[in-house]
Amino acid sequence: MKLHGRELLEYLCQKFGPTGFEHEVADAIVEQLGDDCDKIVKDTFGNVYALIKGASDDRVMISSHMDEVGFMITDIDGDGYIKFSNLGGIDPKVLYGKQVILGNEKTKINGVIAAKAIHHKRREDRFSVTPIKEMYIDIGAKDADEAKEYVNIGDFGVFNSNFVFFGTDNKYAKGKAIDDRAGCCAMIETIRKIRENNITLPFDTYFCFTVREEVGLSGARVAAEKVKPSRAIILESTAIGDIAGAPAHKRVADVGSGGVISLMDRSTIYDTDFVNFTLDTAKNNGIKAQVKRYVSGGNDAGHIHKSGKGVKCVAISMGTRYLHSPACVASMEDYESIRELVFAMLNNMKAEV
Amino acid sequence: MYNTLKAITLVHGVSGKEHRVANTIKEMIAPYCDEAHIDAMGNLIALKRGNGANPKKVLLCGHMDEIGFIVNFVEDNGFIRVAPIGGINWVACAFGDVVSDKGVRGVLVPNSGTKAADFAPDLFYIDIGADSKKNAERKVKIGDTFVLKSNLTKLNSSRVVGRPLDDRAGCGIVLEIAKKIAKEPVADDVYYVFSVQEEVGCRGSKTAAFTIAPDVSLTFDVTGTGDTAGSKPMAVKLGGGAAIKIKDMSVICDSEVVDKLTRIAKEKNIKSQHEILAYGGTDTSSIQMTGAGCRAGAISIPSRYIHSGVEMIDMNDYKACIDLAVEFIKE
Repeated sequence: MKLHGRELLEYLCQKFGPTGFEHEVADAIVEQLGDDCDKIVKDTFGNVYALIKGASDDRVMISSHMDEVGFMITDIDGDGYIKFSNLGGIDPKVLYGKQVILGNEKTKINGVIAAKAIHHKRREDRFSVTPIKEMYIDIGAKDADEAKEYVNIGDFGVFNSNFVFFGTDNKYAKGKAIDDRAGCCAMIETIRKIRENNITLPFDTYFCFTVREEVGLSGARVAAEKVKPSRAIILESTAIGDIAGAPAHKRVADVGSGGVISLMDRSTIYDTDFVNFTLDTAKNNGIKAQVKRYVSGGNDAGHIHKSGKGVKCVAISMGTRYLHSPACVASMEDYESIRELVFAMLNNMKAEV
Repeated sequence: MYNTLKAITLVHGVSGKEHRVANTIKEMIAPYCDEAHIDAMGNLIALKRGNGANPKKVLLCGHMDEIGFIVNFVEDNGFIRVAPIGGINWVACAFGDVVSDKGVRGVLVPNSGTKAADFAPDLFYIDIGADSKKNAERKVKIGDTFVLKSNLTKLNSSRVVGRPLDDRAGCGIVLEIAKKIAKEPVADDVYYVFSVQEEVGCRGSKTAAFTIAPDVSLTFDVTGTGDTAGSKPMAVKLGGGAAIKIKDMSVICDSEVVDKLTRIAKEKNIKSQHEILAYGGTDTSSIQMTGAGCRAGAISIPSRYIHSGVEMIDMNDYKACIDLAVEFIKE
């Protein structure tokens, strides 16, 4: 069944797709797109490419990553407790007591991340952070043999978290994997909108759903070499600093003020003209957008912009509080701003020869 | 030679905003090449075709970008908060005269009372003399870039001091080579690349090298010296001649290129020295590893006080770099 807007976002976020195990997300995207695009292919790496044919050979790439931060099982001990490593950057402080789903192709099971409880800690250790190597996942198995009936070393895990809409008019969303299923969701809806309006763009548009962003952008690296675009728009999520206690000059951007446009981050300096075009398009169409006020993070643009002969890039991010946790919080108004902005940009971009 | 170098140092070109430098050099190099274009990342790529039957492709590269600062926040009182672009030495930049890409002057200062040992990006701001956020925002907006003011000056010798010699000196050398090569019969195609975004990780030269797919490359960039008070042991000296790079932290240069440069320097009586740099890297590495790879070498310009406002080179070394490269290409 084709889902839209909030339902589509929730559906995508609740899929099991840690870095390196993105195919269940990929399948959901392919299913949702149906015959909305001219061609849809998967590469050997797991990236999904949805093509909307245009009027020239120029190619524009829109990119979002399918993977989410998660876990990999590294050992199962004699008591049936599961040792794990993180996939992507997760703050150990976030982990203790969180629910997770572990699994592989065949099974998915519930577990909780455990460590010594505060009651059992020595007084001087009470407020220190337990390192990941001292944590384990409890799946309720009595010993290693029972645990191994369900999971094996090398299996994956993600946070288990209800997807909730809350706040006035339910305009905030809370859940796992908003980074970057929100981008995937906006791409699907953009493809549909191009189709519904029978628009022929002056260039081929490749919507790339990439893998493995969270561990070094490797999926986008492959995708950019395959598509060879002249320009790329990267839809991302960015950690946002409009939280209690952050000084004004460190507040990255504000939730509710529209898509966050990067000027520079740790991996990319964005093309000035393309950034200005993005900001102008937002302004001319009455769409909210804001400039990222702090140099931090990185995204798929890091590899895309220096692929081949070079690619002009813009990144539009969803400002997300508590990123890389089971309770990411973002604004649905920002989601809509980003979706509208991408659509308006595509409609205003010309072919580059 | 000096006047051309001085002219190139006066143009603002922080990593990611090199277009003015590219346009300036494009105009300067036009009489000496067959074609020139600026690519998607902003690299300037000029070509002088060879007259050989099967010309090889030689890539010569200097980077246009300089380190600097990007505005990311304007305080209510009009102070400008910035983030560093490239490897900023905050001690060298503290209390420095800065100027923006739009020509706005200001001073880069640390929060009052900050000890040098504690210097960190978040503790600095630029004071442009505005008395409020509103007045500051009339002149500066988020995304504008600042640099320490360029100030190249001749000392009472063959030495010059100022910034940004890293790496406008390399650009100047490539430009001088183009002037000389234009007058010589050369068999190979020579590509003059003025690259972008070297200071943030050798990004521009990667795509330029992909476009050209060269057989051989030479990179021209500044290198440190071991002849200053308290410097780490290093064989390179200011005034010691063109520094033929053997290795740095990012590259091991092609040994045939190193040997050939060494032999030519000796035969043609060009002052040279060998360089092994225990820190830092250059475009040499990204060019070497792009596509199917190429034979990559580098001729470095010995420089004291790199990434400060008082970078110092010796114009005799500068000339030696040009002469050595020209002889290399002629062979």
